[in-house]
Amino acid sequence: MSDDHDHHAPIEGGDEISEFDVLETAIRELAIEKGLFSAEDHRRFMEWAEGIGPHGGSRLVARAWLDPHFKQRLLADGTETSKEIGIDWLDPTGTGTPSDFTYFYVLENTPAVHNVIVCTLCSCYPRPVLGQAPEWYKTPHYRRRVVRWPREVLAEFGLHLPPGVEVRVHDSNQKSRFMVLPMRPAGTEGWSEDQLAAIVTRDTMIGVAVPRADWNADRAPTEVRS
Amino acid sequence: MMPSPSELDALQRRVLGLAPEPAARLDSPYWITNDSYAVLRHVLHDVGGQPDAPVPYLDKEEADWELRTYVLCEVLAWRGVWNSEVRRRAENDLGATLYYGLPYYGRWITVAAKTLVDKGLVTVSELAAKIDEVRARHGAGA
Repeated sequence: MSDDHDHHAPIEGGDEISEFDVLETAIRELAIEKGLFSAEDHRRFMEWAEGIGPHGGSRLVARAWLDPHFKQRLLADGTETSKEIGIDWLDPTGTGTPSDFTYFYVLENTPAVHNVIVCTLCSCYPRPVLGQAPEWYKTPHYRRRVVRWPREVLAEFGLHLPPGVEVRVHDSNQKSRFMVLPMRPAGTEGWSEDQLAAIVTRDTMIGVAVPRADWNADRAPTEVRS
Repeated sequence: MMPSPSELDALQRRVLGLAPEPAARLDSPYWITNDSYAVLRHVLHDVGGQPDAPVPYLDKEEADWELRTYVLCEVLAWRGVWNSEVRRRAENDLGATLYYGLPYYGRWITVAAKTLVDKGLVTVSELAAKIDEVRARHGAGA
């Protein structure tokens, strides 16, 4: 998408354009006309925003599974170690995004501890490594319940944890962002980094799912069952 | 197994039934108790731990305007017009009806407009004229 083409695109007759859409275009154009920011600023940020996604986190996890030294570095300093796979938390402005310039912590799942993330006060999320948060993550509903009834919420996502597993819920904030390092599932012995990255879905790094050898973003569990 | 929609509806009705009825409609009462004052002062975004019934967790594809709203708000912050905490505070200050009534990025774009006007960076007339212009461009009429 670009400033130049978007809003000139023909609109299908009868389709009502969202007032939010109109408002965004109006504010963006006024801001550029008044010199609050430049069209180039906007283009640069948009390019970055379109490039982020869970693929960054998947790469971190897959590499950590294959390289114990990388995993050690990742757990010790997530922000710095992200650079090894080309993710710089100071992008795209040189000082990070205004919302995400922060400390990044990677939380390791073990047979005894399962981690899950939330932002109870709003929607903080490790965008540079996971992209935009899913809509449900930002709902008051998820924010209300996962901190007090994590096992129940995880069960609603289809993740039933044995009673012996401790569940730790991590509440993100403006300066601390978290991501879960899930356990490598059985049946993936000898897999390449690319193969492993493919089964590390967004939800496994939020902590509402665990990776499975037969389950990836293109083959959702409902499709696997049918 | 995920509960069925009808099971979720039944559970939601049961949980909502647990919530105490407000003694009186909130409509600028002559007098309230100190307890009521404490409850009303609770900041509305601090929802962690509040009871609620299960609902399905649905994925939603991000609309074009939603990504553009994210980028617009971030670029405004990058260039010093506001920062993300000002934005969040403005969202909380929308009040419960708008905070819970608007979609997530609907909140963002609404407070972006309000903040630019509040700071005197854009006048209400300029914003209204630009909105009309954008609507007209989309053939929606003014």
